Amino acid sequence: MLVSYQWLQDFLKLDQEPHQLGEKITRTGVEIAEVKHPEEGLKKIVIGHIIDCEPIEGTHLNLTHVDVGDEEPHQIVCGAPNVAAGEDVVVALPGARIADNVKIKKGKLRGYESNGMICGLQEIGFADNLVPEKYVDGIFVFPQDADVKPGQDAYEPLGMDDYIFDFDITPNRADTLSMEGAAYEVGAIVDEPVKIENVALKADGESWTDNFTAEVDPKLAPKFNLRKISGVKVADSPLWMQKRLWNAGIRPINNVVDVTNYIMLLTGQPMHTYDARAFENNKLVVRKANQGEKLTLLNDKEIDLDENDIVITNGERVVMMAGVMGGLNSEIEDDTTDVILESAIFDPTLIRKAALRHANRTEASSRYEKGVNWDATERALDMAALLLRNNASGTIDEGVITAADEKRQPDVIHTTVSYLNKVLGTEISNDEVGHIFDRLNFEYELDGDNLTVNVPARRWDVSIPADLVEEVGRLYGYDKIKSTQPVLAETHGGYSETEEAIRRIKAIVQGQGLIEAISYSLTSPEKAVSYTHNPKKLVQVQMPLNSSRSTLRQNLMTGLVDAASYNMARKQNQLALFEQGRVYDFENDTYNEHEHLATLYSGNVYFDNWQHEEEQIDFFYVKGQLTNLFKAIGVNLSKVEYKAEEIEGMHPTRTAGIYIDGQYVGMIGMISHAITRASKALNGSEIYGYEIDLDTLVPMIISPKTVSKNAPKFPAIERDLSILVEESVSNQAIENVINDNGGKFLVNLRVIDVYQGAHIDENKKSLAYRLTFLNEQDTLTDEVVNKAMAAIDAELKEQLGAEIR
Amino acid sequence: MDLFEKLQELRDQGLSEIDKAKTEEKLNDVRVKLVGRKSELTEILHSMKDVEPEKRREIGQKVNKVRDLFNQKLDDAKNEIVEKLVKEQLEKEAIDVTLPGREEHLGTKHPINIILDDLEKYFIGMGFKVAQGPEIETDHYCFEMMNLPKDHPARDMQETFYIDSEDLLRSQTSGDQARELEKHDFSKGPLKMVGPGKVYRRDDDDATHSHQFMQMEGLVVDKNITMGDLKGTLELMAKHVFGQDRETRLRPSYFPFTEPSVEMDVSCFNCNGKGCSICKYTGWIEVLGAGMVHPNVLENAGVDSNVYGGFAFGVGLDRFAILKYGIDDIRDFYTNDVRFLEQFSKEER
Repeated sequence: MLVSYQWLQDFLKLDQEPHQLGEKITRTGVEIAEVKHPEEGLKKIVIGHIIDCEPIEGTHLNLTHVDVGDEEPHQIVCGAPNVAAGEDVVVALPGARIADNVKIKKGKLRGYESNGMICGLQEIGFADNLVPEKYVDGIFVFPQDADVKPGQDAYEPLGMDDYIFDFDITPNRADTLSMEGAAYEVGAIVDEPVKIENVALKADGESWTDNFTAEVDPKLAPKFNLRKISGVKVADSPLWMQKRLWNAGIRPINNVVDVTNYIMLLTGQPMHTYDARAFENNKLVVRKANQGEKLTLLNDKEIDLDENDIVITNGERVVMMAGVMGGLNSEIEDDTTDVILESAIFDPTLIRKAALRHANRTEASSRYEKGVNWDATERALDMAALLLRNNASGTIDEGVITAADEKRQPDVIHTTVSYLNKVLGTEISNDEVGHIFDRLNFEYELDGDNLTVNVPARRWDVSIPADLVEEVGRLYGYDKIKSTQPVLAETHGGYSETEEAIRRIKAIVQGQGLIEAISYSLTSPEKAVSYTHNPKKLVQVQMPLNSSRSTLRQNLMTGLVDAASYNMARKQNQLALFEQGRVYDFENDTYNEHEHLATLYSGNVYFDNWQHEEEQIDFFYVKGQLTNLFKAIGVNLSKVEYKAEEIEGMHPTRTAGIYIDGQYVGMIGMISHAITRASKALNGSEIYGYEIDLDTLVPMIISPKTVSKNAPKFPAIERDLSILVEESVSNQAIENVINDNGGKFLVNLRVIDVYQGAHIDENKKSLAYRLTFLNEQDTLTDEVVNKAMAAIDAELKEQLGAEIR
Repeated sequence: MDLFEKLQELRDQGLSEIDKAKTEEKLNDVRVKLVGRKSELTEILHSMKDVEPEKRREIGQKVNKVRDLFNQKLDDAKNEIVEKLVKEQLEKEAIDVTLPGREEHLGTKHPINIILDDLEKYFIGMGFKVAQGPEIETDHYCFEMMNLPKDHPARDMQETFYIDSEDLLRSQTSGDQARELEKHDFSKGPLKMVGPGKVYRRDDDDATHSHQFMQMEGLVVDKNITMGDLKGTLELMAKHVFGQDRETRLRPSYFPFTEPSVEMDVSCFNCNGKGCSICKYTGWIEVLGAGMVHPNVLENAGVDSNVYGGFAFGVGLDRFAILKYGIDDIRDFYTNDVRFLEQFSKEER
């Protein structure tokens, strides 16, 4: 809502500097997004009277002489199609500054001197959609009634000397979507009484109510009133009204439509006028639209009405989308004489949905959806009728048709002053509280501590004691409330154990050099279950923004692959990323969320360097990083098992499921060629990563109380073991045999070589292990170790057909 | 030639040989030759049985003197050779210390999590617990319990991602308030919590909108909490995040779950309140929404609003990060361009 400072002065005394007033309103009531002063930045723009105007042959230009209050008229060349002698116009003199900081200089056009410029409104800063239609493509011409003199500044006649407050209201303060409401608010803030005029109407036409019927479903329109104005002469509105309209952001149209907009701005009550010719059967019906009905709106948009749209019909045709916009078929036209004037309240939700459904939010619909003043309907109707008589020479027909009139009881709130003070943390006196309600124009009674407040209908947002806390608090001044810290019993803050563990894990992977990513939870149905060990039922949103953001992810890897693709498209090929977040599924009849961790690696371990250390990241590098992570958080590595596994989106022979104590905790591997080769950005890159289900892992590692052990006092003995086995025998199988037979002093086992190639048989591979034996209590003898080695050798031969080398 | 002359000759010759030996091996050969068991010096001593007894002593002394000299010179020569070798080796081992080191990936925290972790730590220090609720939330907790009436625009399918008629992707973390209020045993003391997490809204992504972002909810409920407490708490937090010299102001606002509702602005850290393009020439930047918990929210969770009351606030973590680091496109948080993410490593606390 754009609120004019000058118009506000109709209601109350204001002497504050407008910007300071704006700041005060922001702190106390409604946020003022901006205080605009339209003439700001403009210079030497005056009224001119065109004395003569002759076309310049062979051009679209005219040569004019314009009286701008100087001794001699200015010769000005003007290209506007509507320039003519006798017009009062806006002139930018030589040296003027117009919109966008453009300077106007003396010039010569087609050999004719031009001392200034006759302006259109856009040229002095008006928005296109505010300029009256007929002046959009030309210069602005003042109406005959305008009291303007050549040479005077043009700002005042155009309302540009005003200050305009942009009220950026929250939905509860729709009461300030009117000048009267804004006046009440500003009056309360600056502590000035507010004068709202009442209306006394005497009809001067014949009674019309017997010849017209209106049927209204009060569920759709709980209040519905009509008047008829006859014999109007459609023309431009007087300049004073046009100024108020455009300063409020509304384009002047004609003296009938402008009245309805003006009354809406004044009272907050949306109004509508129909050409009475649209109701040829003298009947009006308010109902929900039927399927298949269409309406062409005033903005020429043809819409297919929905069964939940409220419409106004003449008994046969739809003539308006109620509360939103009129139909072209009942529009006020130049030859309109009789007008039906409507002042009504419609169901806010239906109006909001209709406006949204047809992407046609209007000043009217936005007021209806937020709620309008229940007490203003009849008054607005009469005020509009009076203005139509004044501005459009109409006759007000006797009588009002009231087709719906639901009553509402005003809210009465009982509370205490001490409650208000307790919540605010203040010591505001009874008198001061009373004075605040005086400022608000709320009726109240104070009986000791007890406070009873009658809330006026215009403030439908106030209904419970907490609402009064707000009214008192804001008008007392939030700035004046003392800042304190809550004085409370001691509480123990902190993270949950699970959260602590997850934070530790994140810190470790970050320390391993990974950059933290955050991806979107919503992805495509395909990606949602790619890289997923055991996909569950998809969780999809009902109205996705697009198909690539329709489904909740069941894995984090897909987000990291998207990130890799984004980075590689920008030539960032050395990647080490991780994400910790949730994945989502539907299982066991409920929606589930699981905390996961995923990493993604690509490129080399080191950045390009002059030593040509170019170790490429591979499966085993990544597995090593994961092993380090496991070690750091206390996972018993001997219980971790990797089983080659096929997972959608992963390389089928370079991917493993990770099991701890037989429980699946995640997967590790390479992104499949199918994915990396299909993407231009990924371009076949080798990308590795792992994804861990923290919901499974974290309980395994929570609170592993470490009991300190002394560092061993005795030296360990190392033995190397080299064997030859069939190619198909896995390292895991060999390690199992070694661990099972190495005896209690075998403390560490490490693969130190794997060879397959020319020096050994095809289908065979050679592996070498380094075994560490340690007795923490005593010196270990060769004899003991030899015995263990012999047992290992024997079992390797026996179980795996290994050849010891 | 008598023995003395011979000794003199041996001495001169020996010294010149030591001088000529330039490697360790040669020097060794010379040592064997000059002072070894079969050296001429030894022979002289052996041949002394032919010398008169009175001269034996003198010759013996002279031989020993020459041998000592040889040993001395041999040691010196050896030291010289070794020193030279070491020096040569060190020269060979010299590196250009100005050449760059081998760099590996440097891990960094996501900027939003830098902000979040800092705030969590701040509030934990003040005795708040960190509670996290589900992202797939029910209409009941997300809206109904939070006093958003059935027809509230936020409950529209246009605004919120519904999964079915009851389940949705939460559009605010406020549901965590309701869950904690229900769970909390007020006989055991006040409730102080912060609840961070992802939220979702049906907005098309652009520079200032994101269908996914992060919020942090705060809630304090006890018997005597005042709006002054809210003001004090928010002021301290704003100064913690945006700098001790920031000024703050509260403005009336509207949220269904608080009454009164306020928004807090901090004085613009770019222009210090003078007015610039960042604060849209107001001198103030809006940072968060807050208010006193609406009685309906307490009652809905079974908390007696006549006895208990409190305040709540909601922080947009993306917004905090945008303001603090001067980020101009919210999508940068979610495209994960490493060049964007890396720059915040120095911001970690």
